[in-house]
Amino acid sequence: MSPRNPLLALAAFSLLLAGCGDEKVTSYRVPKEKDPEMPGMPAAGAPDAAAPEAAAPAGAPPAGPSMADTAVPTAEGAALTWPSPAGWVPKAATAMRKGTFAVPGDAGDCDLSITAFPGDVGGELANVNRWRSQIGMTPLRPDQLDAGVTPLQANGLTFTLAELLPSGDAKVKSIIGAMVPFGGGTWFFKLTGPKASVQANRDAFLAFLRGVKAP
Amino acid sequence: MPEALKLIRSILVSLRLTVLLLAMSIILVFWATLDQVHLGVWGVQQKFFHAFVVTVRVGELQVPAYPGGYTIGLLLLANLLCAHIYRLKLTWRKLGIWLTHAGLILLLVGELVSGLVQRDYMMRLEEGETKNYAESNRQYELAVIDTTDPKFDQVVAIPTSLLARGQVVQDPKLPFRVVPKGYFPNTDVQMRSSVPNAPPSPANAGMGPMLAITPLEVNYAEDAHNLPAAYVELVGPEGSLGTYALVDATRLPNPQKFDFAGRSFKLLLRPARRYQPFSLTLEKFSHDIYPGTDIPKNFSSKVLLNPPDGGASREILIFMNNPLRYAGLTYYQASYDGEHTTILQVVRNPSWLVPYLSCGAITLGLVIQFLIHLAGFARRRRAA
Repeated sequence: MSPRNPLLALAAFSLLLAGCGDEKVTSYRVPKEKDPEMPGMPAAGAPDAAAPEAAAPAGAPPAGPSMADTAVPTAEGAALTWPSPAGWVPKAATAMRKGTFAVPGDAGDCDLSITAFPGDVGGELANVNRWRSQIGMTPLRPDQLDAGVTPLQANGLTFTLAELLPSGDAKVKSIIGAMVPFGGGTWFFKLTGPKASVQANRDAFLAFLRGVKAP
Repeated sequence: MPEALKLIRSILVSLRLTVLLLAMSIILVFWATLDQVHLGVWGVQQKFFHAFVVTVRVGELQVPAYPGGYTIGLLLLANLLCAHIYRLKLTWRKLGIWLTHAGLILLLVGELVSGLVQRDYMMRLEEGETKNYAESNRQYELAVIDTTDPKFDQVVAIPTSLLARGQVVQDPKLPFRVVPKGYFPNTDVQMRSSVPNAPPSPANAGMGPMLAITPLEVNYAEDAHNLPAAYVELVGPEGSLGTYALVDATRLPNPQKFDFAGRSFKLLLRPARRYQPFSLTLEKFSHDIYPGTDIPKNFSSKVLLNPPDGGASREILIFMNNPLRYAGLTYYQASYDGEHTTILQVVRNPSWLVPYLSCGAITLGLVIQFLIHLAGFARRRRAA
């Protein structure tokens, strides 16, 4: 072996190793993943080069308190209170949620999330349509909104209730959601689960909403 | 042989170089130990040891100041190899020295290889959850996900190192180009409405116009989480589709969505994922403590390994010092979150056996050399 060869081989080897890394663009196909729950962030509209302003999401919080180092501000200040119905399993609040319950049902458990965000979070239509899109329903036009929601008065609060039960079997994902403006923000109560379980818990959910109180 | 090459050869085979390099290693280790106060273990490893050159900041410039661990290691390796080629003779009497040196060479090469190819990931599993991917601790990726197909998502994952370099990405799976407009490895993000003096945002689509992103210094502390953000412009055949601001998924977990060319897309800046052809299901996480105290006694994760061939799943218990090794990956019980969520450290290190082999070779070589000397000594003693 020529004396230079080992050195050349060593240099080539080190260059080869230096080239190792995960810097490549990769593409692959995976089964669908569920997006995390976040009522404050509706989907952005289609980008439009001619009118970029129009691409801002409908749910842009118009104003809000300082959010420290999170991009997703929850409504601060006075909080609503709610009952803890028997049989519903309360879970720890998270950074995103003010409260969570696991609501048992024959067709599978439902998830009740309680969240709050500053401002009107895009308004009723944007929020109802966001819920509809989460379960594969077509969005409502502005003129269809009044027919698609019902008001619910309780303890001086006015909830806007949307019952979203798509056609399909008992397992199809459904939502009964309610939103209420309070303290400069909007509070969302959303019951999500298989259709049969959501329907079975509808009355209990309405009773729960009637138990929600301002401090 | 030309004079210059002879000079290089004589330098490379010299024992003085060995001593010099060992002294330089000591200085490197000492300097790195002092700097650990500022950078933490991971930062020091990257700056001093997993680097060819150690740089220091002079004003606005990064100036090379000292050879890094790779350079010193490679020179030591070259020194050792050259010494073997030019000085040591292959005889039975030198077998022990050959074996010891071979072990050292293997150790140096193994460390270099593992430094360059080892990857660490985390896998967070809730009880009942199944995952076929692990996530990087420190690296992020921009996931451009085509959600048009009702059953599958087509993912194009772009490492943030490409965004940082400003490299334009044109992937055949995407009907648009991804043009990086800025990448910040650590940021503070606030709603624009609460930062009235924030400079105008380069973003004009999605959440971007509502966010005020402030770049921060990278924090190298061991338990620090640097939260990145990026601006990317999407450019279709007809022109720009808008510039998006992307914030890491821990702060903005909901992807930004849009439709283009009859397809639906979402954008997400998330920890880099490594998919594997098998999945793990967490059956039960156990967290035992010593009775009457909060002192942890044992953590263990009972997982179901679902192999890629669709064969029968098997149950495995992962606990401290009892990792799962499968398909080139090692799953260690690393941490937990609450009573029902385990966090496994996932390490891919193809050269994990090398240190064991090299230590074996070094030990064997030293024993053989000792025995050869002992035998010679005994012979001489008998003869006397």
